[in-house]
This record gives sequence, structure tokens and C-alpha cells, in this order.
Amino acid sequence: MGDELVVQNLNKTFYVDGKPLSVLEGINLTVSDGEFVAIVGHSGCGKSTLLKIIAGLESPDADGVVTLHGREIAKPGPERGMIFQEHRLMPWLTLEKNITIGLDDKTRREKMELASEYLRLVKLEGFEKAYPAQLSGGMSQRAAIARALVTGPEMLLLDEPFGALDALTKIEMQKEIIKIREEKKTTMLMVTHDIEEAVFLADRIVVLSNRPGRVRDIVTIALSDKRNRGAADFAWYKKKVYDYFFEPEEDAGPEFAI
Amino acid sequence: MRNKLLWLGFSLILPVLIILLWVYVTHNSILPELLLPRPGKVMEMFWKQITVGTLKNDIRVSLIRILKGYALAAVVGISLGVIMGMSRIAERFFTLTFTSIRQIPMMAWVPLLIMWFGIGEESKVAVIFMAAYFPILINTLSGIRRTDPKLIEVGRMYNLSKMKLFTKIYLPSALPNIFVGLKLGLGISWMAVVGAEMIAASSGIGFRLNDARALMQFPIVFSGMLAIAITGVLMDWILTFISRVVTPWDKNKS
Ligand SMILES: Nc1ncnc2c1ncn2[C@@H]1O[C@H](COP(=O)(O)OP(=O)(O)OP(=O)(O)O)[C@@H](O)[C@H]1O
Ligand SMILES: [Mg+2]
Repeated sequence: MGDELVVQNLNKTFYVDGKPLSVLEGINLTVSDGEFVAIVGHSGCGKSTLLKIIAGLESPDADGVVTLHGREIAKPGPERGMIFQEHRLMPWLTLEKNITIGLDDKTRREKMELASEYLRLVKLEGFEKAYPAQLSGGMSQRAAIARALVTGPEMLLLDEPFGALDALTKIEMQKEIIKIREEKKTTMLMVTHDIEEAVFLADRIVVLSNRPGRVRDIVTIALSDKRNRGAADFAWYKKKVYDYFFEPEEDAGPEFAI
Repeated sequence: MRNKLLWLGFSLILPVLIILLWVYVTHNSILPELLLPRPGKVMEMFWKQITVGTLKNDIRVSLIRILKGYALAAVVGISLGVIMGMSRIAERFFTLTFTSIRQIPMMAWVPLLIMWFGIGEESKVAVIFMAAYFPILINTLSGIRRTDPKLIEVGRMYNLSKMKLFTKIYLPSALPNIFVGLKLGLGISWMAVVGAEMIAASSGIGFRLNDARALMQFPIVFSGMLAIAITGVLMDWILTFISRVVTPWDKNKS
């Protein structure tokens, strides 16, 4: 066990029509092996950008450093998997081909076997030959999860993965993620708009400020019963995170205090 | 299945109405028989021309010309479209030249191409090529350009090589557009070959039309036009069929 991911003094500036736009400022964050960290923040504060930098799809400004087990991240690698808000499956590939798109060094047979294995993992067995258009939103997102897992990543980067799903499917998917985490011990870094989702899933919640995004606080979640959304401390954590975004009302004191 | 038949019947309504009008006009001598022959007569001539006459051979000659020029146009149009679509530099390099050449109507090429290639096969093939490559190129280019950057990001996430990016993402994404270009190009090929054959040729369907006009054989003119229309529609159907086969995921295509 150690600090898997270290983000140090990370800044990111975009240039729009030659004008600088500071999106992330002085981000410091460490994520341990097997940890689940959620990132919440207002729209446009740079959450996706942060995830893309960790994925290696964007590069940070010169002074910042992002390392994974001591090695600097310069480009995407198979030890990091990414799941986007949209499933982003190739409409022209069957699920089997979609899922194995990143496996270059495998034989056809191995690919087929891996595809079946991971489709089973996300409860899509039998859909090997289906095209994405034949799937529901939830099924497509499951397939995207299978695609991200098939390369055997140590770390999953999830950018609002369930934001487009209905409430029931979303809860189902959250349970799937917990199951996968238990099974694969994958480190998870998830951006979400849903505070309840963050409290339900995460060990820690990183609260970002408005753009330029800075770390306002990191809330460690220590629930008595991790699975009980109705518990008093669950509500307390929800409110605590919620209050970072909206001023607490005068009369509504904390329902629960440690 | 039943629905398909209904639709087929529906699309036949207008052609049938036109033929009925044609029958009505000719049988009541509203137009002189010499200018607008009766449909029965045209059909009779058409059948005779197809079975024993020269029309069959004329179409064959024109079709072979189209196949040569069109195949060349498809290869050049798709390749250039892909290269320009995937490289900003290549697009900059070629665009002005192609846009300028594009301003010259395809029939204006005929005199020059005849001077260069004579009135034989090469000049016809060249005219078809000049007419057809551009729509193919433009549609390929825009298809490649319109590839969803979000999907390309997925490719980058897996460090796909440029070749893999092309075969797995850009090309399939552009295929429906490429077929739009191929269809447009095919239609234009047909026009180009008939036009070129009318100006300078000793065979082909365009030549036959002009020849029949000179000899005042109007039923032959009509059956020639009928043959052009039918062949054109058949070729379009074939392309539609091929595009269905190679883009099975593209379900929202009519
Ligand atoms: N490639 C880019 N070029 C220029 N500006 C960009 C680029 N990508 C993102 N931005 C800008 O950076 C800011 C942060 O974008 P980002 O997508 O990271 O926000 P976000 O926190 O994920 O928002 P949301 O919650 O809406 O997804 C936005 O103002 C956006 O316009
Ligand atoms: Mg985002």
C-alpha cells in the first residue's frame, strides 16, 4: 500500500483566442491504492480537465507534477481506464470489438474470451455481437465499464459516468461499481454532480471551488453503515457537502454531529 | 414486409400517373405523334432495341466507360478526401487548387480532353473522372472531419496508432458520407458520359441519342432516354444496397 496517485501544485490554463483562461489552480491531491475518491464542484470548475490530465489526455501547465507510483504521467496508459459521461462506444463495432479496441497485443481468440469475461462481469453476457444502438443507456454504460476494465487498470477515472441515467438504473450501477471495486481492488476517482452518490460511494470527497478550480476541502467519509442511505450520519455528510455549494439555512441546524 | 410493399406501391403512383398522362395526350392527338410518340410504340421500340437492336451495345459501351472513370474518381476522391480530412496541412495545400478547378463546368473540359486524348475511350473516361471525383472528395472530407472528437478521445485513451485510429474510428464514421459522395458522383458520371458522347463519339448511348435525332427516329430517342433513366436508377439501387451491407449499424438510413 502506498500513495498511488500524487497531484502536486497542478495548474491548468487554456488559451481561448490567445487569451489565457485559468481552469485549475494549485491542486494538491494524493490518492492511495484501492481508495475511492469523489470530486464535486460547480459546472465548469475544471473537474473533467483534472481527470483528463490524470488520464494523460491533457497536459498540465509546466510547473505542476502528476505521478502514478512515482512515475510522471505523460500520456494515456493501460494502467488507467476512463469512463465518460456518454458511453462513447463506436456505433459500428459490436460490443465484443468495442470492448477489446484497446487490446493490441492479443490474438483474436484471447480478445473474444476477454470480451465474454468482462461482459459477464457487467451482466451483459450474450451481447457480444450486438451493436450499441441495440442497447439501452444503462447497458451501454455497462459496456463502457467493461471496455475500461478489460485492460486491467489499477485505476479507474470516472467522469460523471451515471449522470445521463435514470434514478433507478443509476442506483443499480452504483452497486455494480462497488462490486467491481471489491472484486478488482481498483482505485477509483469519480467526478459527480450527485452529492448522494459521492457520499454513498467515496472514502473521501474533494470539493472544488468555482473556476479556477481549487481544492476547497476534502471530506473524509466515515459512515457507520456504508450501505444505508437512510442513516442519520449519511444525511449529515450529504448536508455537509451540500453546504459548500449553497448557504445553509438559518433554522436548519445539523441533524447529526460527531 | 407488408409495409415495404405498401411503400413500393406508393412510390409507383407518380410514375404511373405520368404514363397515364402520356397515354392520354398521345391518344387524343393533343401533341403530334412525330414529337411525342405513343408509349406503346416507345415500349415496343425499347424492347426491340434492347433485344436485337444497338441499344444494348450502346449501354454496355457507356457503362464500361463509366466504370473506368468512376472507379478512378472513387479511388482518387476517397484517398484525397481522407488525406485532407486527417491533415490540416494537406487540406490547406490542396483546397484552393481544387476549388479553382471546380469552377470550370465539366462540359467545358470536353474540348481540352479531346485535344489531349482524341475522341477515343480515354477522353470519355477523363471527362467522367473530372466530373465525379469532386463530390466524392468533398463528401469524404466532410465525413472524416465530422468524426466525433469524443470517439477520437477514446482512441487516444488506448494509444491507438494513426492507422488504427483511421480504420476503427475515422473511416467507419465517414462511410455514410462517403456513400453520399459516391452516389452523387455516379449520377454525375452518367450525365458526363452521355454529354461527352453527344459531343464527340462514335458509340455509346449519348452518341445513339444524337444519331437518332439526326435521323428523326424519335421513338429511338425516347427509348434511349428511358434506358438511361432505368440504368441510372438501377446503379443507384446497387450502391444503396452496398452501403447497407457495409454500414449495418447505420439504421436511421431510409
Ligand atoms: N480544450 C479546451 N480549450 C479551451 N477551454 C477549455 C477546454 N476544455 C475545457 N475548457 C474550459 O475549461 C473549463 C473547465 O472545463 P471542464 O470540462 O473541466 O469543466 P467541468 O468541471 O468538467 O464542468 P462540467 O461539470 O460542466 O462537466 C470550462 O470553462 C471550459 O470551457
Ligand atoms: Mg465535465
